[in-house]
Amino acid sequence: MAKFQRSLSARQRTKARYGVIFVLPAFLLATVFMIYPLFASLYLSLTKYNFAFDTKPQFIGMENYVKAFQDSAFIDSIGVTAVYSVLYFVLVMLGGLILALMLFYAKGKTSVFRTAYFLPIVIPLSLSSFIFNWILQKNYGLLNYFLADILGVGSLTREWLSTNPWAMISIVVVSVWATVGFETILFLNGLQALPEDMLEAGIVDGATGFRTLFSIILPNLRETFAVTGIWAILQALKVYIVPSLVTWGGPGTATTVMYMYVYRQSFTYLEMGYGAALGFIMSILIMALSLLNMRISKKV
Amino acid sequence: MTQISISKVVKRARHIGLYILMAVIAFIMLTPIFLAMFNSVKLESQILSANMTFFPRSIHFDNYQYIFDRFGKFGAYFKNSLIVTISSVLLTIVFCSLGGYAFAKLPFRGRGIMLSIILFMMTFPLAVLLIPIYIMEYNLKLLNTNIGLILPCVATVVPFCLLIMRSVYIEIPDEIEEAATIDGCNVFETWMHIMLPASTGGLSIVTIFTFYNIWGEYMLSKTLVTRESAMTISVGVTLLKGEGGWQFGVLGAVVTLAMLPPIIMFMIFQRSLVSGLLSGAVKG
Repeated sequence: MAKFQRSLSARQRTKARYGVIFVLPAFLLATVFMIYPLFASLYLSLTKYNFAFDTKPQFIGMENYVKAFQDSAFIDSIGVTAVYSVLYFVLVMLGGLILALMLFYAKGKTSVFRTAYFLPIVIPLSLSSFIFNWILQKNYGLLNYFLADILGVGSLTREWLSTNPWAMISIVVVSVWATVGFETILFLNGLQALPEDMLEAGIVDGATGFRTLFSIILPNLRETFAVTGIWAILQALKVYIVPSLVTWGGPGTATTVMYMYVYRQSFTYLEMGYGAALGFIMSILIMALSLLNMRISKKV
Repeated sequence: MTQISISKVVKRARHIGLYILMAVIAFIMLTPIFLAMFNSVKLESQILSANMTFFPRSIHFDNYQYIFDRFGKFGAYFKNSLIVTISSVLLTIVFCSLGGYAFAKLPFRGRGIMLSIILFMMTFPLAVLLIPIYIMEYNLKLLNTNIGLILPCVATVVPFCLLIMRSVYIEIPDEIEEAATIDGCNVFETWMHIMLPASTGGLSIVTIFTFYNIWGEYMLSKTLVTRESAMTISVGVTLLKGEGGWQFGVLGAVVTLAMLPPIIMFMIFQRSLVSGLLSGAVKG
């Protein structure tokens, strides 16, 4: 018996040794490219460090953080991000829900439609942004062509990318196009997980169509709403590629979102100390919402 | 009786209406993708002229010819994308199947803390990590190299993929492992011959997720690579518009070629891609 126990613990030790070895490659990589950068960034955020001019970071304490809250351009970019986020959130949630309900109620074959709605999300966002640049062009853009030459309403044509509020609306629409399929799949998943007898009970009670939808289906999708909702919020706060490639942050700074401003400070002006501080402020915002996400997903 | 048949007709009509609506939306969703493809087979004069059309009137492969004639530059973008994506996928598979197995079945001291740290890292946006990574790679002369892009790319997908693999390995019953041990397999052999083949579902999710993420990766590539010869297609394409006026047709062809790999992957692995992304949204 004692011998058996010893051999067991020997095996445990071997397992533990292999465990460490197996984890090592992944953990080393995470250390070098995530954990170390995180701490390095935290330190940099407390320094003045222009990568082009300063030979090394110079410690200045909380000055960058104080500066950030007095930097009206940064505050503006947060405002732009907030406006974008609200528009994006409403459209992507509504769009996803409506598409999912359509797929759910259509009893026949819907896999073609599902694929079509989902496909945009596998297209790299930089390529999609590029294509939308053509679509929204003033002179040769597909949208203006469609409005003027196909529908014959030339008065509706616009300079979509360089006038307010159309530039903002454009980047919201592009982002919704690129991601709504994902929300659709999440909602559809939620709908399909609803117990069948719940839906049937509604029908027997004489609750038809919209009544069933609002009194039975939607209230029971709470969990799905939590997941899709927070996903949409995080997606919105991290927006970068679409505004930087479709509208270049313009006209003026009308679509210069938070992430773009942070990136510009760090890599265009090379103010890496200040950029790091801005990055942390942004991260805290995003993390607070991520944690909220985990809390909510656990609760429901 | 007539009551019923009328309601049936209404139901039928509503059903057809629903399908038409879904088809119209599907068409709108696919329009940008079609536009790139159609433009790639049009002549320049058919794209920029006042009497442009959405559908190509005739099909020309001049734009693809143009790309192959100047393959040096475009070829470099595609070559880099392929090297970075394939290496990243392979590294991620090895790292995460080993690590996921350890996190699931090989208890060691500090395992819980390590896992929590990795989970915690998932919540940070890249923006905050990018500056030190850039400085580090600058000092190590890794900027503008494939390896300098591959390693941080892998690091960004490792946390999620570790979680996926861990959950796959947890599902595998301990008895199978014990049977292998009794047969004289050491831990590595058990992983290699028993665990790896049993986790193909998870591996395919990891493969698709990594492929799709890194083929389309933009932030790291844009920051860490500034020289054209080392650039990937997702960034390279954004530089093309400045040259020789807007060559819409050629751009259409480049964009089409760049879209094809993820679209093909999607068509083949649709099921595991969707389920992988779903679990990512729920966890992350």
